[in-house]
Amino acid sequence: MGKTNYMRLKGSQNLRLRLLLSTLSSTPILIEDIRHEDTWPGVRPHEVSLLRLFEKVCDDCVVEINETGTKLKYKPGIVVGGKHFVHDCGVSRSIGFFLEPLIVLALFGKKPLTIRLKEGLGLKIESRGAPPLGGGEVVLTVPTVHNSLTAVTWIDEGMVKRIRGVSFSTRVSSQFEHAMIYSARGIFNRLLPDVHIFTDHRAGPQTGKSPGFGISLVAETTSGCFISVDTAVSHGREEETGDLGDDEKKELIPPEDVGEQMAAALLEEIKQGGVVDSTHQGLLFLLCALCPPDISKVRVGKLSPYAIETLRHIRDFLGVTFAIKPDPTTETVILKCMGSGVKNLSRKIS
Amino acid sequence: MAAEEQSHKSHRSRQAGPSAKKKKQQQKSDSKNEQRQNPKAFAFNSSVKAKRLRSRASEKEQRRLHVPIIDRSIGEPAPYVVLVQGPPKVGKSLLIKSLVKHYTKHNLPEVRGPITIVSGKQRRLQFVECPNDINGMIDAAKFADLALLLVDGSFGFEIETFEFLNILQVHGFPKIMGVLTHLDKFKDVKKLKNMKKVLKHRFWKETYDGAKLFYLSGLIHGKYPKREVHNLARFISVMKFHPLSWRAAHPYVLIDRFEDVTPPERVQMNHKCDRNVTLYGYLRGCNLKKGTKVHIAGVGDCSLAGVTSLPDPCPLPSAAKKKGLRDKEKLFYAPMSGLGDLLYDKDAVYININDHFVQFSKTDNENEAATQKGKDRDVGEVLVKSLQNMKYSIDEKLEKSFITLFSRNSSEAQANVQDPHEASENLSSDKSQAGNEIEPEGSDEGSDAEGLGGSESSEQDTENKKDNTDEISNENGNALELQPTVRTNLGEHIEFHDGRLRRRAIFGDNDQNPEDSDSEEGEEDENDGLDNQSYSGSDSDMEEEDEMGNASKWKESLLQRTSSRQSANLMQLVYGIAKSKSPTSVGSKQQGSSEDDESDDEIIRPKGEGRKKSSELLDPSDVNVEDCSKLKNKADTENWKENEMLQSIRDRFITGDWSKAARRGHVSEENNEDDDGSIYGEFEDLETGEKYESRESNDTVQTEADPVAEERRLKKLAKRAKFDAHELDEATRVEIEGFRTGTYLRLEVHNVSYEMVEHFDPCDPILVGGISLGEENVGYMQVRLKRHRWQKKVLKTRDPIIVSIGWRRYQTTPVYAIEDQNGRHRMLKYTPEHMHCLAMFWGPLAPPNTGVVAVQNLSNNQAAFRITATAVVLEFNHAARIVKKIKLVGYPCKIFKKTALIKDMFTSDLEIARFEGAAVRTVSGIRGQVKKAAKKEIYQPKRKGDHPPEGIARCTFEDKILMSDIVFLRAWTQVDVPKFFNPLTTALQPREQTWQGMKTVSELRKEHDIPVPFNKDSLYKPIERKRRMFNPLVIPKSLQAALPFASKPKEIPKRSKPLLESRRAVVMEKDEKKVHVLLQHLQLIRHEKMKKRKLKEKQKKKEHEAEKAKEDQLSRKRQREERRGRYREQDKLKKRMRRNADD
Repeated sequence: MGKTNYMRLKGSQNLRLRLLLSTLSSTPILIEDIRHEDTWPGVRPHEVSLLRLFEKVCDDCVVEINETGTKLKYKPGIVVGGKHFVHDCGVSRSIGFFLEPLIVLALFGKKPLTIRLKEGLGLKIESRGAPPLGGGEVVLTVPTVHNSLTAVTWIDEGMVKRIRGVSFSTRVSSQFEHAMIYSARGIFNRLLPDVHIFTDHRAGPQTGKSPGFGISLVAETTSGCFISVDTAVSHGREEETGDLGDDEKKELIPPEDVGEQMAAALLEEIKQGGVVDSTHQGLLFLLCALCPPDISKVRVGKLSPYAIETLRHIRDFLGVTFAIKPDPTTETVILKCMGSGVKNLSRKIS
Repeated sequence: MAAEEQSHKSHRSRQAGPSAKKKKQQQKSDSKNEQRQNPKAFAFNSSVKAKRLRSRASEKEQRRLHVPIIDRSIGEPAPYVVLVQGPPKVGKSLLIKSLVKHYTKHNLPEVRGPITIVSGKQRRLQFVECPNDINGMIDAAKFADLALLLVDGSFGFEIETFEFLNILQVHGFPKIMGVLTHLDKFKDVKKLKNMKKVLKHRFWKETYDGAKLFYLSGLIHGKYPKREVHNLARFISVMKFHPLSWRAAHPYVLIDRFEDVTPPERVQMNHKCDRNVTLYGYLRGCNLKKGTKVHIAGVGDCSLAGVTSLPDPCPLPSAAKKKGLRDKEKLFYAPMSGLGDLLYDKDAVYININDHFVQFSKTDNENEAATQKGKDRDVGEVLVKSLQNMKYSIDEKLEKSFITLFSRNSSEAQANVQDPHEASENLSSDKSQAGNEIEPEGSDEGSDAEGLGGSESSEQDTENKKDNTDEISNENGNALELQPTVRTNLGEHIEFHDGRLRRRAIFGDNDQNPEDSDSEEGEEDENDGLDNQSYSGSDSDMEEEDEMGNASKWKESLLQRTSSRQSANLMQLVYGIAKSKSPTSVGSKQQGSSEDDESDDEIIRPKGEGRKKSSELLDPSDVNVEDCSKLKNKADTENWKENEMLQSIRDRFITGDWSKAARRGHVSEENNEDDDGSIYGEFEDLETGEKYESRESNDTVQTEADPVAEERRLKKLAKRAKFDAHELDEATRVEIEGFRTGTYLRLEVHNVSYEMVEHFDPCDPILVGGISLGEENVGYMQVRLKRHRWQKKVLKTRDPIIVSIGWRRYQTTPVYAIEDQNGRHRMLKYTPEHMHCLAMFWGPLAPPNTGVVAVQNLSNNQAAFRITATAVVLEFNHAARIVKKIKLVGYPCKIFKKTALIKDMFTSDLEIARFEGAAVRTVSGIRGQVKKAAKKEIYQPKRKGDHPPEGIARCTFEDKILMSDIVFLRAWTQVDVPKFFNPLTTALQPREQTWQGMKTVSELRKEHDIPVPFNKDSLYKPIERKRRMFNPLVIPKSLQAALPFASKPKEIPKRSKPLLESRRAVVMEKDEKKVHVLLQHLQLIRHEKMKKRKLKEKQKKKEHEAEKAKEDQLSRKRQREERRGRYREQDKLKKRMRRNADD
């Protein structure tokens, strides 16, 4: 019992997923070769920040990183949750990067979690911030699951009945938003009258520190599915690696184009079918795998690469394999799985 | 017929007399009752009562409701485990034998290990005898579906029964039934009836009202009466079993067969090497996924090296497929008891032939041979016997002789040894042989076993020579022979430990492979061994056939094949080619390699979607970029402004064509069925046009509050929890949902310590329980614990106790605590007498709500109740948060106005820094606060050269304190919970031996004869308070001057001479003197008088009292006499009256 068996993994990819699954399945992991061939090897600031976040939310988790940062040992603890957490996310990744694992993680916490994510490139609520300086702030509140989730059969995608959206702008004119909305509505209105896109123009301290704007769109179907797309446009941050950031300061895309693009993207997602959009496939699969040992059945559109990665990781950590079947007429994929029966073990019984 | 018509004189009711009066009265009361019989009119006589009634009714209603239990088990269930438990000598084995006899019409010679029997068309039972030690009882409570609690009726309840009931209640309460035996010891029927009643009520009190207590009245021909066994069997057969929450969430296997499959050469090299064992049993609880870790009770956590499902050795009559006409239905299966006829698995095929059906020519073995050597025997008989005694089959002999042709062909020999099949085969045959040889040798076996090694092997050799296996004399032969010798040694070892001769002989056979327990069947075994491969080959074929069912289903299989191929492709693309990850390689899974698999894309993507997906699919540089979870589809390439594009998804909006959209869903649904066969279990046979409707309806959610409907819904949910057999091929299905409950599994476990094999006892059932995610981790667990009311002593913090949680049993050292009002966990030195408390201990984690039973003493010869406490897991933590009170005491060393320097409270300035701001208090109640460590300048040492002492704290108080004050600081300090747990390895030691773990402090003290240490200061002593001396009050002159005169202290100057009044002498006149003397005389006289009178009165009183006492005595006597007379009179009167009444 004394020595722990680490699950050995390689590479820097999907760190969020790995940490999340490791914590949920309480499997210690050992990741090697994290960008060992890069100019700047090792873990990035946002990854370190993520680890800090995990340490904050969990009790007694052990993180060890070697000197070069290419090797990471993570021994998960118990998800505690609680109130009044504040986490400084840094500016190298958006708050969404931290939100995604946290949402699932906090479900299996001892207490409901309330956390304030700061300093990141937020999209939401408290204040918004755009790259490169950020300044957004998000308060996330996640309840805990009582005992375990329930399995779903969710294969009816329904018909789109309404489209909602929010556009935002920070430190730019609110005209930008109107332009985006106008162009997006131009496309949607030919299909559906029920389109409302709200503006969220921030002023004063809530605007964050850099100019930027963006839009997120959600289509709701008759069967209660939500299909969403979103984007944010701002001056790019200089990537540390240098291989991504372009040399010249690019001019921002005009807001009309952004609106159009996003509307097109949403339509594309709708066209693909499935009960969730391609971005959230992974999340859906993960939640299915965390169900009690019943059969979940979901329909999605094309499997996104990230979803495929998620499936593989779920197989490795939770031992849940999905039965995947294409549905040629609707060009969708139907996935079935038997949940791993993960229970909220850390919850205290009264 | 005339008799029917015959009319009787009708009854005339009495018109007068007492009976008529009675009737009249009755009628009167009836009429009264009639008045009150209108319930509506009299329902609410009292509003309070009505309210009470209503609340009671609703309470009853509520009690009826309970959370519906989801039964996730699919298909035919595993045999139900009927555990027969009871104190020793109560008739457990006999009951099992009787029941088995009743069901199978077979006599069971001995009850060892689980016995599976078919009890009905739809039901199988597995009888297990509960071992008598507490460990066995705890394990048995974890797998029993029905516990038959045997109680010696002539003796009454024994403590084991109550212990077992307590264990059962903690580990999920399975069905129980009490069985009273030894009732023939009662001669008096009335006594028997009374005893039954008493026992029944005691049993009810312990369990629940109406718990069934069965009576077995006695023995007939050494068996329980047939009729009663029959009745008992009927009770068992109607028993309904509900899933228990722990078991429904964890897979578990009750082992009914146990094999050691270690490569023999390893054992040969090192007799104590780690072994590989295979365990066989029905899977129960929930599905077992590959890669699940298991806990073998009494051994420890293991990872499964291999899991394979085997055909059911004891199938239900309905499920069993007839392989041949001669195949009789197998009604029972008990490999450990040496029952069950045919057995085949991966390693070998075993045939057991019952003793009754076989004419053994070999039963008279060397034993007789030795005695009857002198007599001349039939030549043929001798020949047959020699054939039977053959060690190796002809093939082998040939092989070996072949080897001898090429002398020293060692490589061949090596190969021979390595081949596990052959080796094991040789082994089994050898062993059976060896067993035969050993039997007659009797008691000198033990000494031989100690000797081990050379002498034994030489003995073996001589015996070999006696057999006609003389050809083999070269090295190879020896190498082969060495293995059996080692094995026999092993067998003997066990026997030596066992001590009892009879058991020993069979035990040796049964130990490693129970199938060939009929040791006489050496030949048979060999034959089976030869057939092995062919059998196993056909085996899998049969399985396939099973899936297909009968011939008309071939279409299905075709369909299934195509669909499975398709799905397999997609799955292959996602999960890579490697179909199943082996559990051992979980740890070393490499992620990078699997990404390369997605080169060919046509197959995953449905047609029309295969656009440029491959470029999007992960290239390794992509994985770290922002928004990697998003799929960047190149939406801008398509112009959504164009009408035709919009038209293409028009029907996905509610503004579109609803019917089309509905059809789309429908078509897809139908398609679904087409391609994946039977998500809903519906399909159409195109040839015949028949439609096969599914049994399950698709309505998913009914939101009815009706609990019955809710229950049904949940049942349905559970029903949904299966993949149809046609949908996926077996391997994929197992991959996805694991092995189903009810399958017969073969679990292979590698590297268990050799003691498990050596000390294996079939009478002690082995439980293998699956561990779910997160349960193999260790941490602190918090449980709510209550000392058992029958436990005599309270439990002490940090004294080791043995807890049983989930599948595990381990020893740990708990720290007891109680939760204060403010949520603080305060340590308790001892558990409360009659209250729950918290206990925190370190150990493998178990999910909250798991029951815990704690035991302190495992020994069997203990008279007292062994269950020390029961508990339930509340939560687990990685840190223990238990605190205890600490009181720091200090003394002022210097007092300023309201500030004082306190010494002796802290030892260092660092410590003071820790306590800055802490509240302090003096004994007199003056409150204060710790400020900071005192500066060195403030507190100068008394003498020059002394170091200023460390740990002097500056504190401020609300008032000036005195130097004599004592200052307290009350604080809480963290208590460490020892990080200790010790799994009970009871299966790795002889069963009779009591497991010895960590000892309690008191045990150690007793052992080493160390007195209980005591602190002199802790003793209570009479309090001595020194009288405080106060200095006289001094009022300063200036103050005095300012005071008003009345308050001023008056200073009276001292006189040099006494006053005149005190100085002068009194001289009386003559008359005065006379009067004075007279007065004195009178007074004297009076005094004397009074004295005399008092004395007199005293005496008088004394006399009076004596008189009174005498009188009292007399009067009491008189009264008694009177009373006696009166009573006599009354008695007489009564008697007379009675006599009168009688008359």
